[in-house]
Amino acid sequence: MNPIPALRYVIGVALQNIARNRGIAFASVLTVTMTLLGAGAAVAVVSALDGVLHQEEAQASVLKVFMADHISFASALNMEHTLGSEPTVLSADFENKNQAATQAGSGLGLSGALKILQETGAGNPLPASINLHLRDIAAVSALNTQVSTSALLYPGPHPTDYNKDVIPRLEKYIFAAQLGGAMLVGVVGAVALVIITISVRTAAFVRRQEIEIMKLVGATDWFVRWPFLVEGIIVGVVSAILASAALVGVGLGFGSGGNLALGIGIRFAALIVLGLIVGGAVLGSFGSLVGVRRSLAA
Amino acid sequence: MSISTSPAPILTGTKATGNGPPARHDPPIIVFERVSKTYPNGVPAVLDVSFTVQPRDFVFVVGASGAGKSTIIRLLIREETASKGHVLVEGQDLARIRHRHLPRLRRKMGIVFQDFKLLPNLTVAQNVAFAIQVTDPGRSHLKEKVGEALYIVGLEDKLNNYPTELSGGEQQRVAIARALIHRPRIFLADEPTGNLDPDAGWGIVQLLLQINHRGATVVMATHNREVVDLSRRRVLAMEGGRLIRDEQEGQYLKEGEANL
Repeated sequence: MNPIPALRYVIGVALQNIARNRGIAFASVLTVTMTLLGAGAAVAVVSALDGVLHQEEAQASVLKVFMADHISFASALNMEHTLGSEPTVLSADFENKNQAATQAGSGLGLSGALKILQETGAGNPLPASINLHLRDIAAVSALNTQVSTSALLYPGPHPTDYNKDVIPRLEKYIFAAQLGGAMLVGVVGAVALVIITISVRTAAFVRRQEIEIMKLVGATDWFVRWPFLVEGIIVGVVSAILASAALVGVGLGFGSGGNLALGIGIRFAALIVLGLIVGGAVLGSFGSLVGVRRSLAA
Repeated sequence: MSISTSPAPILTGTKATGNGPPARHDPPIIVFERVSKTYPNGVPAVLDVSFTVQPRDFVFVVGASGAGKSTIIRLLIREETASKGHVLVEGQDLARIRHRHLPRLRRKMGIVFQDFKLLPNLTVAQNVAFAIQVTDPGRSHLKEKVGEALYIVGLEDKLNNYPTELSGGEQQRVAIARALIHRPRIFLADEPTGNLDPDAGWGIVQLLLQINHRGATVVMATHNREVVDLSRRRVLAMEGGRLIRDEQEGQYLKEGEANL
């Protein structure tokens, strides 16, 4: 079969179907646009929320390992190297006693108290530490258990420190946000699929006599399917373009500083648009195949 | 009823090749071997039917409504499969043909029905061209082929008319032209005269006889007694799903037989 006339025929019939059933096609595009708009907005919101939570997570994924005063600098560096090579550790920074004092002075407002201690000859009471930045918040607790038995650690009641309360709460929020987003996108996708299926099934019903004749004169099932497939893809892609335009429009309207609303960058917005177009095409083609199946079986 | 037996004007001047009588020594083009068909609702439509059809034969399948005529046609186009026995077309067992190979089988066949099955929003030429557009869109000389098919059925001057602007007989001729476009070796007609007045019906039968004369094997299911009796061709008579008579140059009813 020559592909060019076949393609011309397929696209022609698909456009003819849309024109012939323009009421249904319009309703399909409108509803699929609304559902894709919902899906796109859900992805944007979940992603923004995810970004905030991950930022919090990055800050909370720090395990501070305090070193005993008696250990040598070489031992401390050796330990930094050992812990830094753990697969769950992203980076390890050594913080000596002086840096700890500076940090406590500026960060916690303890410079006065530290100065008094220095003047009375008590010296710097703050221990040196290794700050471990972990890849995954879930690994903090396990690594803490692993290192806290080391003899090189500060002998006080808290040889390590990490944000025990925040971590499980953040984990819960991130899971809830991802699950909620996935469910929303799934439900919205299913609704779009049903709508496209109904639309194509209606088009196939309107063209049932044509399909019957096609089969009688020896057209292949794929030749019958293609125009419906193209019709579904057109509905899906047009809906995705409209939904994307609306999302980007609103995002630009409320955005600032080169970003869209919710702090979404242009690159991520482009990814959402691409995802909606591909999603629309996939939904359209899948819905079409389901929609036309009954007519082919008849 | 009076039927004009003069040749239909559309056939005047056609390039009949005169392929002669059925090829008795060639292998049969159609074989029904102890075929039974029972529909899912349990109704037996065809019971233990056996017959063969030689290439270039012309066969009437006759019988009352529900006798099994249409089921014979449906089995031949593999719209139905036999519950028992074998249906062979050109030596190929239709039950063994995979679904994806059905289009190839159907392109060897020309099929017409009582209800014409024309697309009302297409012109006569477009209806005929449709059969090629959906099977081989790149085929060259489409216009010429459509013109030739319409010339054979005598509608070359109705190219741009819509089906609703034609008589029943003309609509059936368009359906025949569409069926002819693939130059089928087997031509199947299921009650093609059922919706036509006697003259138009006779015209259609003459056209089918002409197609047969040009070399195609024709199987026509009908309960039109007059056309069967006037044609004097082979008759397969069905009753209650069984083949009760197979007669060369037969008549609709056997002498002394009650009306089917």
